[in-house]
Amino acid sequence: MGIGIDIQHIIKRYPSATRNSLEGVSLTINPGSKFGILGPNGAGKTTLISIICGIIEKTEGNIFYHSDKGEIEYKEFRKKLGFVPQDYALFQELTPKQNLEYFGALYNLNRKQIASQTDYLLNKLGLATVADKQVCTFSGGMKRRVNLAIGIIHQPQILILDEPTVGVDVQSKNAIMKLLDELNANGTTIIYTSHHLAEAQEFCNEIALIDMGKIILSQTMASLLKEHQTNSLKEVFLELTGEEYRDSNV
Amino acid sequence: MYKLYISIKKEVLQLINDKVGLLIMFAMPLLLVVIITLIQDSTFKLVKENKISMLVVNRDAGAQGKKLTEMLAHSGMFTITTDSTIAKASIKSELLKQNRNVALYIPENFSDNLRQKASEIGTLFLTDLGVKDSASKSKPVKLTAIDFFHDPVLQDNYCYSIIGVVQSYLQLIENNLMVENMYTEMGDGKTPASLKNVLSQNQVAITKTAATNANFDIMPNATQHNVPAWTVFAMFFMVVSLGSNIVAERNNGSFIRLKTMPTNFWMVLSSKMGVYLFAAILQVVLIFSVGKWLFPLIKLTPLTLPNDLMGLSTVVLLSGLAAVSYALLVGSLAKTQEQANGFGAVSIIIFAALGGIWVPVFVMPGYLKTISQFSPLYWCLEGFYTVFLKGGSWNELLKVALFLLSFTGACLLVVFGSLKRSKII
Repeated sequence: MGIGIDIQHIIKRYPSATRNSLEGVSLTINPGSKFGILGPNGAGKTTLISIICGIIEKTEGNIFYHSDKGEIEYKEFRKKLGFVPQDYALFQELTPKQNLEYFGALYNLNRKQIASQTDYLLNKLGLATVADKQVCTFSGGMKRRVNLAIGIIHQPQILILDEPTVGVDVQSKNAIMKLLDELNANGTTIIYTSHHLAEAQEFCNEIALIDMGKIILSQTMASLLKEHQTNSLKEVFLELTGEEYRDSNV
Repeated sequence: MYKLYISIKKEVLQLINDKVGLLIMFAMPLLLVVIITLIQDSTFKLVKENKISMLVVNRDAGAQGKKLTEMLAHSGMFTITTDSTIAKASIKSELLKQNRNVALYIPENFSDNLRQKASEIGTLFLTDLGVKDSASKSKPVKLTAIDFFHDPVLQDNYCYSIIGVVQSYLQLIENNLMVENMYTEMGDGKTPASLKNVLSQNQVAITKTAATNANFDIMPNATQHNVPAWTVFAMFFMVVSLGSNIVAERNNGSFIRLKTMPTNFWMVLSSKMGVYLFAAILQVVLIFSVGKWLFPLIKLTPLTLPNDLMGLSTVVLLSGLAAVSYALLVGSLAKTQEQANGFGAVSIIIFAALGGIWVPVFVMPGYLKTISQFSPLYWCLEGFYTVFLKGGSWNELLKVALFLLSFTGACLLVVFGSLKRSKII
C-alpha cells in the first residue's frame, strides 16, 4: 500500500525573494495514485516537491503523511520515500552496480537485498550488459535509467520524480514509464512533474496544475478532460495558464 | 556498520578513479621532492665538494700577489687559473667566455702598497712604544682595492662567502708583513722561521654543531629539510581532488538526494574525511620511503627517520586532518569545480611560500614572519622539523598541535555553516 499526503495551505518565501514561491498550496495525494504536478516554468513545482521531500522547509502550512496504518512522522516517511531528481544525482566515475550498492546501503538494505535488487533493476532497465562500466561513458538516456534505479532500489512506497524523462530517447522513456507503471501497480504512490504533457496525460490518473505558486486545479485526469470536452491535456493547460512566456518568473 | 563500510568503499573507488587527482596527490610531490633535493644537494656539493673556478689576473710586480694566489690555491676551495696578460677592462668578458665562477684582479702595486701599510702600522706601533721618535711618522697609506668579479647568476651570499675567504688570507699576509717590518725597523733582520710558522697557523678553528636536543644524532641536510617540507605541500594539495569532489557532489544533486534518504550526512562526510586522511598518510609513507630507499640509489643522502615515531605519527595525523579540513572548506565554499581547483591550488602555493616550504621563514622580513604564522603549512612544517631536525619533545609539539587542531576546528565550522546555508544539512 502506498503513502498518501495531505498538504494544507503551504506558503514558501525564499529569503531574498520579493514574492512567495508558493501561495497557500493545498493538495491531497491519495495512496496508490499516479499524481502529476504540472505547470509552466517557475510555477513552483520543484519548490513544492522539495518541501514534500524535506529538502527545503516551508514558511507556513502543514504536511501530513499517512500510510495504511495512519499518520506517520517525516522520519518514517523518509524511509518509505524514493526520490529521483532532475539532475543525474549519482557518481559518474562509478559503475551502475557500485552506485546502486552505495545508495542501497544508505537506504538500509543489506548485501543480499542490494544484490538481488541491483540484478532486477539493471535487467529491467536494459543496463545489465553495462553494469560494470563507468556511468560517465553512458548516454543521457542510460544515465536517466541509472538515476531512476537508484531512487527505487529500496522499493519505496512513495516515489517522487522531477522530470524523469527529460532529454532521453523514446526507448529509454518507454522503459522508464513501463517500470513506473509496474511500481504503481504494486502499490507505490507516484508523484511526477514533467513538461511532457502527452506523457503526463498517458501516465497520470490525477493531476494538479500549478501556476504562479497557486494550485489552479486538482482533479482526476478523466474528469478534467471530460469537463473541458477535449482529449488533449495540452489544450486544457494552455487554456488555464495562457500562452504568455513566464520568463519574468525566473 | 555496513553503511559505513560501503560509504568508505565508495570514496575509495572515487579516489582510485580520479586519475588526475591521484597524479597530483602522489606523482607530483614525489617528482618535486626528488628534483628539489637533487638541486639543493648539488648546490650544497658545489660549495662543499666542487671547487669554485677562479680566474686570477695577477698584475702585481711583487711577491704578495703570487703569495695570495698560492694561498687560495692551497685552500682547496678553488681551481685557480692565472693569466696576467688580461687587461682589467676585459675581465668581465673573459670570465663569461672561460665559464669561470669568479675572477680576482690583483693590481700592479699590490705588494708595494701592502708593505707601505705594514710600515705605517709598524712605525705607529714603535712610536707609541718609544722605540722610534714621532718625527719619523709617515703619511697615512690608502690601500688599493683588489677587484672581485663574479658570474651574475651567483647569489650575493655565495659571493660574500668567497670574499670572506680572500679577506682572511689577505689578513694573514698583512700580519706577516707587519711583523716582518717591525723586525726590520728594530734592526733584528729577518723574522724567525718559528714565528712565521706560528703566524701562519694562528687562525682559530670553528666547529660546526646543529642545535638539536640531547641524544639526537640526525644531521640536518637537504633530505631532512626537503622530504618533510614537500610532504606537507603534497598533503595540502589534495584540495584539488577533494575540493572539486565536494563541489561535484553538491552541484550534481547527490548531497540533496542524501537529504531525502534515511541516513546521516555526517556519516557520509566522515567517510570522505577518513579516506582522504588515509590518503594523506599514504602520501607520507610513500614520500618518506622514497627518501629512505630511493635517495641513496641516486646519490642523495637517505632520509633518517626520527627516534620519536609516536611524535612523528602525531604530526602526520594533525597535518593530515588540517589538510583534509582545508580541502573540505574550499569545496564547500567554491561554486564550481574550476573555482575549487584554481583557488585551492593557488592558496596552497601561497600558504607554502609563507609557510617556509621553499624559503626558510627565518630569512623572511619581520612582517612576513608574522604573517607566516597564519599559514597551516608553517605549523605542519614546524611539527615535522621539531621531530626531524630538533629531536623535540611533546612540550614543543604542543603549540603545533594547538594551532593545527584550532585550524581544523575552524575549517569544519565554516564547512558546517556553508552546508547549512546550502540546505544540505
